[in-house]
Amino acid sequence: MNVIIAGAGSVGRYMAGQLQDSGHSVTLIDNDPKVVAQGQATRTPVGVTWCLGDACEVATLKSVGTAQADVVAAVTGDDEDNLVVSLLSKQEFAVPRVLARVNNPKNEWMFNDMWGVDVSVSTPHLLTGLVEEAVTVGSFVRLLSLEGGKARLAEVTLAEGSPAIAKELTDLGLPRESTVVAVLRDGHVVVPRGDTVLHQGDEVLVLVSGGVEDDVRRALVG
Amino acid sequence: MALLRRKQRDDQPIASIELPECTPICDTEPRQWVRVSGKVVRMTARPTSGQPALAISLSDETGIVTAVWTGRREIGGVTLGRKIAIEGVAVKHGDHLEFTNPGYTLLPK
Repeated sequence: MNVIIAGAGSVGRYMAGQLQDSGHSVTLIDNDPKVVAQGQATRTPVGVTWCLGDACEVATLKSVGTAQADVVAAVTGDDEDNLVVSLLSKQEFAVPRVLARVNNPKNEWMFNDMWGVDVSVSTPHLLTGLVEEAVTVGSFVRLLSLEGGKARLAEVTLAEGSPAIAKELTDLGLPRESTVVAVLRDGHVVVPRGDTVLHQGDEVLVLVSGGVEDDVRRALVG
Repeated sequence: MALLRRKQRDDQPIASIELPECTPICDTEPRQWVRVSGKVVRMTARPTSGQPALAISLSDETGIVTAVWTGRREIGGVTLGRKIAIEGVAVKHGDHLEFTNPGYTLLPK
């Protein structure tokens, strides 16, 4: 895949390295000459194409081949810039998948299809979710919102007394708009099938779309 | 000079203003900059994430495309049956093409 990353801070560089390692073609854009020069001189991350320029300019995006890009990730430390890059990528270049980083959680409401964002990632929200997950057994924790909140990845650790314990997945009566995507048990990932039986202490990851969260919670938490 | 040219244009009868060259809708490729023209055959308010958006379908004799303008409920002059030209980059949505916030020109009725 052809990936363009706007913002070569630690997040952008790390992503670029990981994606390049898994065989994707990555271009990093940054407007700081020092950052770009250092990246080019040290050749880190290996194989990444560097571009010195303002990713909020159509001309810069055009010069790095955004018109052919499969993914654009706007991961600068500036929410305004991330929104501008997202909107331009979607509107001017019709990039199929646009990801944006939310720096200030107060801005998260803007990171949606209005601004061309397909997936927004908010580190503070993710961290809150993970902390909640660590401290709460038996309740429903939202981990990730997809498609502007239309779908959510949520997690439940089955506590004693959960109505789901010792039941097969098909017997849980989960609504059609939801599905169990993984069960984490004793440090292993169990790929869920209809006949998978749930145990106490299982971490159940559920993908929920639409407004059926309450039904899912009832089936898993009680 | 620009003013003079504008003046000359204003003096011309509307029908003689040169219309921008348009690609037939059936020849439109996704992710390529194009200009297409046609009649507005459908208008829908399509609120996304709680924000208003106006979606229209544009049809010429060869096909149909959709255009979405985010953040607005209506655009002056863009009405059902009106002939307009839009220009921008389209993305493929299932079997049809969709423009996001394209530039538009109202064409003479």
